[in-house]
Amino acid sequence: MNKVLLLAEILTVASAFVVGLHPNILYASVFLLFTFCGVAVMFLYAGADFLAGAQVIIYVGGVTILILFAIMLTQWLYKIKLADIRNKMLLPGFLAIAVGTFLYRALHQMVAVLPPQTPEALEKFTSTPKTALIGQALLGGYLLPFEAITILLLGAMVGAVWLARPE
Amino acid sequence: METGFITAFWFIIISALTVPLMLGVGYLLRPKGKDTRRKMTSYECGEEPIGSAWIKFNIRFYIVAIVFIIFDVEMAAIFPAATIFKESIANGTVGLVFGEIFLFVALLLIGLIYCWVRGDLEWVKGVTKFAPNK
Amino acid sequence: MVQSAQFAHSLEGWFGFLPLWGWAAVSALLVIYMLALPFGGLATYIERKIAADIQDRIGPNRVGPIGIFQFAADAIKMLSKEDFVPKGGDRFLFNLAPLFVVVGSCTAFAVLPLSKYLIGADVNIGVVFILAVTTLIAPGLLLGSWASENKWSLLGGLRAASQIVSYEIPVALSILPVVLISGSLQIGQIVEQQGWTVFGENPATYHFWNAFHNPFTFFSMFLLFVGGLAETNRIPFDLPEAESELVSGFNTEFSGMRFGLYALGEFCDVFVMSAMVTALYLGGWHIPFLDIEKLGFALPTGLVAFIQFHMFMIKTLLVVFVVMWLRWTLPRLRVDQLMGMCWKGLLPLAFFNVLGTAVWMWVFKGQSLMQLLAGHG
Repeated sequence: MNKVLLLAEILTVASAFVVGLHPNILYASVFLLFTFCGVAVMFLYAGADFLAGAQVIIYVGGVTILILFAIMLTQWLYKIKLADIRNKMLLPGFLAIAVGTFLYRALHQMVAVLPPQTPEALEKFTSTPKTALIGQALLGGYLLPFEAITILLLGAMVGAVWLARPE
Repeated sequence: METGFITAFWFIIISALTVPLMLGVGYLLRPKGKDTRRKMTSYECGEEPIGSAWIKFNIRFYIVAIVFIIFDVEMAAIFPAATIFKESIANGTVGLVFGEIFLFVALLLIGLIYCWVRGDLEWVKGVTKFAPNK
Repeated sequence: MVQSAQFAHSLEGWFGFLPLWGWAAVSALLVIYMLALPFGGLATYIERKIAADIQDRIGPNRVGPIGIFQFAADAIKMLSKEDFVPKGGDRFLFNLAPLFVVVGSCTAFAVLPLSKYLIGADVNIGVVFILAVTTLIAPGLLLGSWASENKWSLLGGLRAASQIVSYEIPVALSILPVVLISGSLQIGQIVEQQGWTVFGENPATYHFWNAFHNPFTFFSMFLLFVGGLAETNRIPFDLPEAESELVSGFNTEFSGMRFGLYALGEFCDVFVMSAMVTALYLGGWHIPFLDIEKLGFALPTGLVAFIQFHMFMIKTLLVVFVVMWLRWTLPRLRVDQLMGMCWKGLLPLAFFNVLGTAVWMWVFKGQSLMQLLAGHG
C-alpha cells in the first residue's frame, strides 16, 4: 500500500468530515480546500495527471475562492452555526448512510467485474501521459460533448451575471 | 504515476515544513510581551477602530470569481486540444482541430462581449450605457 | 515508471548510494534551501540596491562588503519581533495563511528547468503543474486578510484574491501558444525544442527561441510578463499591498517572521514567473545559436549542467531585474483600471494571440521564422 496515497486518502476523508461537521462555515470551506487537494493526489495515483492539475486549478483556485468570497462578504451566512440545525439531523443522517452503502456496494460490484490486472500493467497505465490522449478524444470521438461544454459554459456565464445584477 | 511527482511531493513537504521551522526559530528568539489592550486592537492609522470588521457586500468580487471559473474550465478544456495541434499538422487534420478550437474560443468570446456590453465587468457602478435600471 | 525526476536521476547517476526517492528529497532540499530561499532573501537586498540606483542614492552598504548581508540582518530583525494575533482574529487561519503562500511559491520550483539534467520534476503536465501550484497562493492571501480582523486587511485581501484570480486567465492563455508550438505540456520538452545551432544540423522540431517563432508569440511573451506581474502583486499591480491606500493591505496585522514569509513567498513567486517567461519564451537553458552538447567532442554532463544552469539563471535574473526596475518606474494602477485591463484588454489580446499562433502554425506548417529563413536562404 503506497504511503503517500494512504496519506492523501486519510486527508480527503478527514477533511470531508470536518467540512460536514464543523460549526464554523469558514473552517468548513478551508477544509474543503484540503479535500480538493487530497482528491487531486488520488487522481495522480490513478494515472489521471492532467485531471489532477485541472482539479487544482479549477477547484482550489476557483470554486474555493468563490465560496470564500461568498462567506466573507455575507454577514448572515457567517453567523449560521451547526448548532442551529443540530436537532434536524435525522433524515439527512439516514440519507447519508443509505447513499454511502449504495456507493460502497456499487463500487464493489464494479471492481469485481473488471478483469484482474498485473501490477506491471497497472503501473504502465498510470504512468503514461494522458494529456494527448484526452486531446485526441475530445477532438475525435467526443467532439459533440466538447462543443456542448461550450454552450453550457456560455449559458452558465450569462445566467450567473444576469442573476447577480443588482436589481 | 511518474517519478517526477515524488520529487514534487518532497517539495511540498519540505516547503510546508519550512514555515513552522522559521516561525519556531522566531518563537525561540523573540520577546514574549504582555497582551495590552492597545496593542491587540486592529490598526486603523492610529485611530480607534470604527465599527466591526465587516464590509458592505460588493457583488463585483463575486461576478469576477464566477466569470473566472467559466474561463478556467474553458482553459482546462483547451489545453489538451492544444497539445495535439502540432501532431495534427503532420496528420493533415489541422483544419478540423483549428476549427474546433476556434469555435470553442469564439463562443466564449461572445459571452465575454455580452458581459462587457451589459456592464457586468465594470468595477465602478454607474458608468455603463446599456445596463438596466441603474 | 516514466523517468521524469531528472535532478534525482542525475544525482543518483553521479553519486548513487541512496534510492531514488532519497535523491528526490535531496534535490528538493537543494533547490529550496540553495535557490528558492536564498533568492527570496537576496531579492530584498537586490531590490533595495536597484531602487537606490534608480533614485540616485547608494542603498544598503553597511552590513557586509557592499551591504550584501543586509538580508541576513533583516531576517534576524524579523525573527526577533514580537508576534501576536490581533484580538478577535482567528489564530488557526492566521497561522495557516503563510503556509499556502510559501508552499505555493516554493513547490513551483520543482518543475523549473534549471538545466537539462537538473529539472526537479519534469512531469508531463509541467505547465499545468505550475499554474495549479501558483493558484494556491490566492486562498492564502484571502484567509490571512480575513484572520486579521481588520476591515482594511479584508478589503486588501479580497482585492488581491480577485486580482490574482482574474489574471490567471491571460497568463494561461499566453502559455497556450507555446503549447501549440511544442505540442507538449512538458517543460523539458518545450525548452529542448528551443535549441537552434548554426554549427550543425538541427532536428526538424527545433526552432529558435519561442519568442521569435512568430509575431504572435513575441506579443504573447509580453502578455505573460504583464500577467505575471499582476499575479505576484508587483507594481504596477500592487494595489493589494499599497502603502498609501490600505495601510499595508492584506498584511497589515502580520508582524515579524509571518510578514517575512509573505515577502519570501512573493519574491519566490516573482522568480517562478520570470523563470516561466525564460523557459517558455526565451530559450531556457540554451545558449543562443550554440548547442554545447553537439560540439563534436563530448563534455561531461556535470559541466554541461553547470553551463546550462548558469545560462538559465542569467536569463531569469535579467527578467527579474526588469520586474524590479518597473517597480520604481511606473505608477500604480487603480483597481477599476486593473480589472478593466484584465478583462477588456489582456484577455481579448491573449485570445487573439492564441488564434494567431494557430493560424501561423497552419499556414506555415509549424515552422518558425528562423526555420523559414534558414530554409529559404
